[in-house]
Amino acid sequence: MNKLSRRAVLGAAAATASLPLVHIRSAAAAGKLTLGLWDHWVPAGNAAMRKIIEGWADKNKVEVSIDFITSVGNKNLITIAAEAQARTGHDVQAFQAWDVHNYQQELEPMDDVVAPLIAKYGKVNPVNEYLSKIGGHWLAVPSSSGTQYKPSSARISFFRDAGLDVQAMYPARPEHTALSDQWTWQKMLELAPKAQQAGLAFGLGLGQTTDSVDFVGALFHGYGAELVNAKGEITVDSDPVKQALEYMAKLAPHLPPDVYSYDDASNNRALISGKSALIFNPPSAWAVAVRDNRPVGEDCWTFPNPSGEKGRFVPYLPYSWGIWSFAKNKSAAKDLLSFLCQREQVEALCTAVDGYDIPPFLSMADFDVWAKVGPPLGTVYNYPIRPWHNATPSIAGFPAPPDIAVQIYNRATMTTMVAKMTQGGQSMKDVIAWAKDELEGFTR
Amino acid sequence: MRRFLQRRSTVAFLMCLPLILLIGGLVVYPALYAIYLAMLNKRMTQFVGLGNFEFLLRRATFHLVMFQSCLFAVTAVAAKALLGFLLAHLMHVIPGRHQRIWRGLLLIPWVVPLALSTLGWWWLFDPSYSAFNWLLAKLGAPTVPWLGATGWARFCMILVNTWYGTPFFMIMYLAALKSVPEQLFEAAAIDGAGAWGKLRFVTLPMMRNIISITVLFSLIVTFADFTIVRILTNGGPRDTTHIFATYAFQMGIQSGDIPLGAATSLFMLPILAVASFFILRGVSRRDREMAAA
Amino acid sequence: MSAAASAAGTAATRRRRVPSLARQRRWALWGAYSALGVFVFMFLVPPFYMLVTSLKTSAEISEQRTSPWLVAHPTLANYFDLISNDNFRSFFLNSAKVTICVVALSMVISVLAAFALARMRFFGSSVLATGVFLTYLIPDSLLFIPFFRIIGKLGLVNNAWAMVLIYPTLAVPFCTWIMIGYFASIPKELDEAALIDGAGWLQMLFRIFIPVAMPGIIAATIFAFTVSWGQFIYPLAYLYSSDQMVLTVGIISDLIRADVFQWGKIMAGSLMAAAPPVVIYAFLMDYYIAGLTAGATKG
Repeated sequence: MNKLSRRAVLGAAAATASLPLVHIRSAAAAGKLTLGLWDHWVPAGNAAMRKIIEGWADKNKVEVSIDFITSVGNKNLITIAAEAQARTGHDVQAFQAWDVHNYQQELEPMDDVVAPLIAKYGKVNPVNEYLSKIGGHWLAVPSSSGTQYKPSSARISFFRDAGLDVQAMYPARPEHTALSDQWTWQKMLELAPKAQQAGLAFGLGLGQTTDSVDFVGALFHGYGAELVNAKGEITVDSDPVKQALEYMAKLAPHLPPDVYSYDDASNNRALISGKSALIFNPPSAWAVAVRDNRPVGEDCWTFPNPSGEKGRFVPYLPYSWGIWSFAKNKSAAKDLLSFLCQREQVEALCTAVDGYDIPPFLSMADFDVWAKVGPPLGTVYNYPIRPWHNATPSIAGFPAPPDIAVQIYNRATMTTMVAKMTQGGQSMKDVIAWAKDELEGFTR
Repeated sequence: MRRFLQRRSTVAFLMCLPLILLIGGLVVYPALYAIYLAMLNKRMTQFVGLGNFEFLLRRATFHLVMFQSCLFAVTAVAAKALLGFLLAHLMHVIPGRHQRIWRGLLLIPWVVPLALSTLGWWWLFDPSYSAFNWLLAKLGAPTVPWLGATGWARFCMILVNTWYGTPFFMIMYLAALKSVPEQLFEAAAIDGAGAWGKLRFVTLPMMRNIISITVLFSLIVTFADFTIVRILTNGGPRDTTHIFATYAFQMGIQSGDIPLGAATSLFMLPILAVASFFILRGVSRRDREMAAA
Repeated sequence: MSAAASAAGTAATRRRRVPSLARQRRWALWGAYSALGVFVFMFLVPPFYMLVTSLKTSAEISEQRTSPWLVAHPTLANYFDLISNDNFRSFFLNSAKVTICVVALSMVISVLAAFALARMRFFGSSVLATGVFLTYLIPDSLLFIPFFRIIGKLGLVNNAWAMVLIYPTLAVPFCTWIMIGYFASIPKELDEAALIDGAGWLQMLFRIFIPVAMPGIIAATIFAFTVSWGQFIYPLAYLYSSDQMVLTVGIISDLIRADVFQWGKIMAGSLMAAAPPVVIYAFLMDYYIAGLTAGATKG
């Protein structure tokens, strides 16, 4: 961010140029505005969001009504589907990762909101760009609310006993350690049997919900394994995919037998109940452990995922705010969204939820909150990807064209491949043949 | 005009009108619309005829879904029918004044909202907190991955559906049993028929219609079940517990392919229509026989 | 009927003599009681476990040191928290409002139609009678998307009244079917007598048939009540703000926060949501059976 590139300068210039425009719209912003936002798991998150938005509403004389819609049972997805079909509903909706793509025809372009933000804050998380920038246009504004990484959430004591001091490996200060280079998928595989013997088998899901899909997706990226490449060609029958599958075949016997039915809460419960030494999850599991099972909570440390030959990938699952093309008050909505994306607001929200939210603008990965939260102090310091982590945000299915990738993701093709082999006892050849058939269906 | 309004068929039609409006407006019209949707392409911009159906029939995963739906519905309905029949008979044996409390207790699974009781079951099956596994561990038996292994997961969803639906069968059968004239049993007893004889030659023939109708009703509802599978397994592991409704949901809502989701749901129709044709034909034939007898 | 009886007769000749009838009865009775006991025990395991869980704190649930089937430190905090929670109260009221309206609407529709179909044959009446039952063939998951549009057009998105509109499609066919059966079981002489007295069809329905068919009506009412109180998919899809939400979905969407579950409260909420139907069944059970007895066998 320190280097001032030509593009950044140009961008900044563009931003200044567009600033007056924004202000003119501000003056016109009035009337009613309805928002459907993600129902935050930390109750304080909703309250903080409401306070910020109401402050804006008072100042701009806009009458705002907010519904917090939960992602439990995919309620938010269903609501979005309902609104798209009925062509009526909230002006602004919070879209989960792939939904921007699914509803691209019903979404208002947001370039005039996102471009100034990029000019001001620099690079956006590449996954956001992959998901929301369609045909060169931003169709939604990357949001921090609910956006999460799924890094390692590990028991300090187990790893110390196994010879790996995770606190020294990823200390709570801006420092790259040599030790962290040893945190590889291979290393994790070596530790898995030890954890299993200690009654702390790694709770790594192989089910069909996001936590499982994200973890396996990051692993596949670590091996450079792509089911479908960026051009849309099916590349599942390739060496990297086979390597990744082989790795999983070695790992799976050391995971709990239930991992195939894991949902997004099962891994949390495995950690909280003290039955698992490692899960890949946002710090929500740790936060509940602190509340309900404190000895476990105090023994947790968050840090990036293991790395593979092709690098270190951390699963990233973002939310975006979009405006329906049939929304009634687009100008006020755009105004509010660009206000919410300013650093002050993002930081206030992030602090209110103890650092759970990840800001989509990489320059904001330096909020104080991650250093201040405990116990143990600094446990989530390495939750956001820091520049010295040498890590890349990942989403399963990338880099396939998003309309194919969304199906790879939602149909959990990767975890199903792994499960067919490790649980269903099928040969790798059969599994790849099955995946090929499935992927051909996706590319129709 | 007045006479017209008083004619029997006019009055009857007017009395049926709310029903016709309800069914027409909120079942037939949306169903036709859904059939239309099922013939569009993914982005809903183009008419593709039967393309979606053809596409589904070629997918291995969809074959799995069809097999599982049938397995789930048939097994669960058979279990419910047998258990319900057994319970109704047990209930019929005990004196009327004691029946109340037993009936009340046995009806509880049917009365609790299904979504909520399924959550309770799910909690009993949870990998980390399963209270069943706790008992097994105490008994020294190996713990069971209830929802994690295909066989167990299928067993669990059938179990929960059976648990929920059996009381309904019991009540329907009990009602039917009570309506069998006592003289028939007495006559059979005088002729020296034992329990088996009474069951075979009195109870079953008398209950045949109600058994058929209850089975049909339950078959339809079980086939279309969404709640249990959605909450317990959501189709996993490896898609081996997906049934039509949950698969349709995953296709239509989660993967943003509404026409494919509608097409998936539509596959239920012909299967059920055939089943109901045969069952209802049997019912009306027996009705006629009884009327003639 | 006569065929069945004579068949029973021929079967009887093949059977040997049976031991003392009284003793056999007693054994059968004890057998029935113990078998029922086993079933009740099995059926009540989940509700019992829900009750136990609802009496625990989150800390006790997660620490797992004691038996999950017992409570070490029982607390009613989960219940009090929910009762004093505005959202929960509003879910309850919405559920009650929707259910009462749905039951009333369903009963009006199905009683009127059933009477006409059972007593007043007209063009297409038998087709309609079968057709009504067959509407169940069309699965919820198919109607799901088209309902979005209908509700959107009517301006009822996120409005509990939309449920009042949709739920009857689930309750009415079965209720109509029960009522057709019940009306059909009422002797024909009754309406002939009424017609001779010069009563109109509506008078006949309200003065004679409804009072006589009360058990059937109660049975159908209870069915409609159960269906609309426990419905899950439609409110999940069409309601999202807490002032419109109903209980089944409210409990799940309010108490489960992303990947954090408050099991004690979820179970407490579920049990409280189950209470109204349990109470209703406890009081009206006998009518339910009586109503089904006539309705079901003739249907």
